Amino acid sequence: MSTVTEAAILETLRQVIDPELGCNIVDLGLIYGVTVTGAKVAVVMTLTTPGCPMHESLRWGAQQALVNLEGVDAAEVEVVWDPPWHPSLMTEAGRAATGVGGF
Amino acid sequence: MSAAVNPSKVKPAPAALPLGVNTPSVTLPLAFMVTGLLALGAGMGWLVLQPRLLATYHYNQYVIAVTHLFVLGWICSVVMGAMYQLVPVALETKLYSERLARWQFAFHLVGFIGMVWMFRVWNMKQVGHFGSVLALGVGLFVYNMARTLRRVPKWNVTAVAVAAALFWSSFTVTAGLSIAIAKCSYDSTEGLAAAQGVRTLVDGLRSIAGFMSRFDAIGAMHAHAHLGGVGFFTMLIVGVSYKLIPMFTLSEIQSKRRAAGSIILLNVGLTGSFATILLRSPWKLAFALVGVGALAIYGWELAAILRARKRQTLDWGITYFLTAVVLLFPLSGLAVALSWPGLPLNLFTGQLENVYGFLGLIGVVSFAIIGMLYKIIPFLVWFGRYSRQIGRAQVPSLADLYSARLQAAGYWTFLAGLAAACGAAGLSSEMGVRIGCGLVSLGVATLALNVGTMLTHLFRPKPRPLSLQTSPVPKPV
Repeated sequence: MSTVTEAAILETLRQVIDPELGCNIVDLGLIYGVTVTGAKVAVVMTLTTPGCPMHESLRWGAQQALVNLEGVDAAEVEVVWDPPWHPSLMTEAGRAATGVGGF
Repeated sequence: MSAAVNPSKVKPAPAALPLGVNTPSVTLPLAFMVTGLLALGAGMGWLVLQPRLLATYHYNQYVIAVTHLFVLGWICSVVMGAMYQLVPVALETKLYSERLARWQFAFHLVGFIGMVWMFRVWNMKQVGHFGSVLALGVGLFVYNMARTLRRVPKWNVTAVAVAAALFWSSFTVTAGLSIAIAKCSYDSTEGLAAAQGVRTLVDGLRSIAGFMSRFDAIGAMHAHAHLGGVGFFTMLIVGVSYKLIPMFTLSEIQSKRRAAGSIILLNVGLTGSFATILLRSPWKLAFALVGVGALAIYGWELAAILRARKRQTLDWGITYFLTAVVLLFPLSGLAVALSWPGLPLNLFTGQLENVYGFLGLIGVVSFAIIGMLYKIIPFLVWFGRYSRQIGRAQVPSLADLYSARLQAAGYWTFLAGLAAACGAAGLSSEMGVRIGCGLVSLGVATLALNVGTMLTHLFRPKPRPLSLQTSPVPKPV
């Protein structure tokens, strides 16, 4: 039985900051899905734009953060472009941190 | 998790490459950029010490030397280094060869330093030799970039602009070498025997010199300058910003037709301007207006992109860049005025040409470059030092790597110095030029301080432990 909750995973992913925008990837609305199977975690995420220079770093960082979480043995992070990211996916905290608005 | 997205409907992106595979190692573009900053500092220092270079007409060896220090040492160094980093990232491809890029850096360094020195002592034969070394490097650069562009999965307006800029950069170097060849004397080669093989080369050089003698020297120099300034630098500023400004402001291109139109018109305008400047044709004005039209469409599209942006705050890096775009207005006005048919060449109009060149290189191009440097250098440093620590430690954001207050101070000092130097150059005031260039130098010093602060992270990284409760010892992936 899984001991890792989705909330704990999202809290962990909040430690991964997009260095350009200065906001974590959860509040930026980049996380599309989390699946927990026993001690394995699969995350589906996107980036603000295709060709984002942080592509590899953010995917790597999310994976690193997850495998260091207690109760997680393996983590898989998949980056998708469809549906494309939109600022409306951001949380209030994300909008406040980045100064994004106007939609 | 984003509630608005249904996880079952997402489609996977192409598999991500291992960390850092798409881009060269950070030391290569950083080496180009540090070289560029040193050249900018040296060039501004030269103008502070000898302000008459800007306060008198520009057709002399010292002005040509300092101009090549700015153009090759500062602008080309930074632009080429940035292209090795940005083009693969922006166009979602991989640099063809980092090894070729390293060789190019060596040729570039030797070539431009030698050229500037030989221009200063007016030894055109040696200018030709060092220019050939530089041209060899440019050849490697263009070949490397062209092979990189061949890998681009989907062509867009940025890729087309980069390809056009590569073409114009090759043309600029060819034109520059041809001008140098035309200024050389071949009397000392009379005794060469045909069997030596060198004879063929000398005959070729003589024919180029003969061909170039059809054009007046100042017209050829101005045409050469426009090939580089508009074809290489402005083309890249316009094309690359169509990718980077939406990326940094969370926006998107609003009209692909408008974006494509600006690139097409810029190429048409430059082609015509090159020919009409070279031939001193009265049609110069018509093609200058085509170029100005291209930039107006560019400004229109950029304004639309900015209006649609989701990130309301514009940081100083973007502000620097947008200032360059605003400076295109007075620059375009000067271009039209100086292209006016029948414009007399007197003391004042001669000085206006100086203002035009200074405003173009130190105003438009330098502001655009500094804006982008404030994006690229933090990224390179962050990528080189912190990208492997993300998720394992709290890493600084890009904005944490430098001082925004210093950045703002540098912006205003640079802008004030530019305005003062341009005004003083127009009025032939040596003291005013010295004060203006002194202020610009202060602006450069703030940039250098900030770059130094960023580079210290490479040697003394400052990550902090994660605040969350995670496994005590990081586990290998």
